[in-house]
Amino acid sequence: MAATELLTLTITELAPKIRAREVSPVELTEAALAQAERLQPTLGSFITLLHDAARKQAKEQEAAIMRGEYRGPLHGIPIGIKDNIATAGIRTTVGSKVLTDNIPTEDAEVVRRCKDAGAIIVGKENLEEFAAGATSNNPHYGAVHNPWKLDCVPGGSSGGSGANVAACVTFASLGTDLGGSVRLPGTFCGVVGLKQTFGRVSQRGLLVTSFNGDHIGPLTRSVRDSALMLQIIAGYDPLDPSTVPVPVTDYTARLGQAVRGLKMGMPTNHYFELLDPEVETAVRQAIAALEQLGMELREVPLPMMQYVGALRITGMADSVVTHEPFLAKHRQDYGPDVLYRTLAGQFVLGRDYSKAMKVQRLIKEEHARVLQEVDILVTPTAPVPAPPIGAKTVTVGGTAHQVRGPGSGVISRNTSPSNATGLPAVTVPCGFTAAGLPIGFQLIGRPFEEALLLQVAHAYEAVSPAHGQHPDCVSP
Amino acid sequence: MAIPHETLKAMIRDYQGFSLADDELDLIQPELDHYLQAIDQLQELDLATVFSSRLLRVQEGGQS
Repeated sequence: MAATELLTLTITELAPKIRAREVSPVELTEAALAQAERLQPTLGSFITLLHDAARKQAKEQEAAIMRGEYRGPLHGIPIGIKDNIATAGIRTTVGSKVLTDNIPTEDAEVVRRCKDAGAIIVGKENLEEFAAGATSNNPHYGAVHNPWKLDCVPGGSSGGSGANVAACVTFASLGTDLGGSVRLPGTFCGVVGLKQTFGRVSQRGLLVTSFNGDHIGPLTRSVRDSALMLQIIAGYDPLDPSTVPVPVTDYTARLGQAVRGLKMGMPTNHYFELLDPEVETAVRQAIAALEQLGMELREVPLPMMQYVGALRITGMADSVVTHEPFLAKHRQDYGPDVLYRTLAGQFVLGRDYSKAMKVQRLIKEEHARVLQEVDILVTPTAPVPAPPIGAKTVTVGGTAHQVRGPGSGVISRNTSPSNATGLPAVTVPCGFTAAGLPIGFQLIGRPFEEALLLQVAHAYEAVSPAHGQHPDCVSP
Repeated sequence: MAIPHETLKAMIRDYQGFSLADDELDLIQPELDHYLQAIDQLQELDLATVFSSRLLRVQEGGQS
């Protein structure tokens, strides 16, 4: 099988071939490393490529298969890890100059789980500095470029992860999501990005920058692959107090089941209020496609969302507290966007932090109530398609909005609420703009009901006009 | 309504914050504008009876 043909397969398609010894993990890893080498100058998607370690892992995994010790669908599959997730003995910069020499002594729990499942880690992926932004235009390690249109951002902060999955460098990547940082690269790069329920996946080994909004989640080229990845990383971690001992169900069990009769809620406020027209058209078509599949559409008001701006206040204060020790010693090593966005947090009053927490509670309760009436919520993932790299503002609804740095936030306005509610949310590609940029469709589910969420996402994916498409840069 | 630079500088001084020059205070202003706007909007909202709860309790309508 030709290298490009191999690289464009999904994990679901590859796994049986690896198990049957038709595809060798060594051959697959060499193909992924060659693709990474070829595209790194174009995409800038890695901070550290792990040639030797990946080759060693591939040989070990191949030997295990030859001994009959097949470990499951991730066995022998090359994946990427965002560079804010700890990898033992491998530097983990968090996209910063401050931590440029940081070499963790332990793997993050998710990395340990992926390695135990037989995955091969090909590299540490580029991201926004300290994962604090939506562009992945990193002042220290260079901008990540969107595989679909190289002069545009891939989204952020897991931009390297999104770009690698879209460009068929990795078959899956682990990103992190505090305000949409898995789902925004998912939508801008035309891949599937999942942020599962808060507490479902251990955050141990991640530089957590908020008190209750960080998540680690997978980017993949199909919904089924997303389910496979979640199956591996989900579970209680006694060393991470944020995880919850809810049983892990079979996330692939409902894939392929009919969605007829399920109810989807389309919010009448916030999520559809500020949209690029091409995004709105594509998302409304996606909703219509689910109706065609037999789902019932209900309009649902979410009046508390008018106060959603308050949620930013907790993030501001949490961020400055996280950065305090770094700022004290390394302030000069920060890029200006993250530095000044972070320093603004020192002016948040405790009174206002408390109010913001109460607003968070109200928004959580409102979403929980609505999700008793409907099975999922459907929204656009991002209000706009990927902006050009270096753009200061993006115009939507006739107004120019800041793209990065202090005052930014329009790109994540539809994703960040699910970080506050903790609800699971997934983005699925649903179309392209006339300029060829991907558009994403977000589905939000009930806590710990990822199986249902993925069932609907999978049903939509099968009829999506964007399904199975790859950017031109995939082929040499 | 923006917070005057002198107020911000006094807060930095009295609460041992990270120092910021005038031009740097200008840079953070958009973030503070969002903050003040969000807080201003909360004036109309009664938060007195809102309590925290860690777990989401969907079956009970989200009531804690």
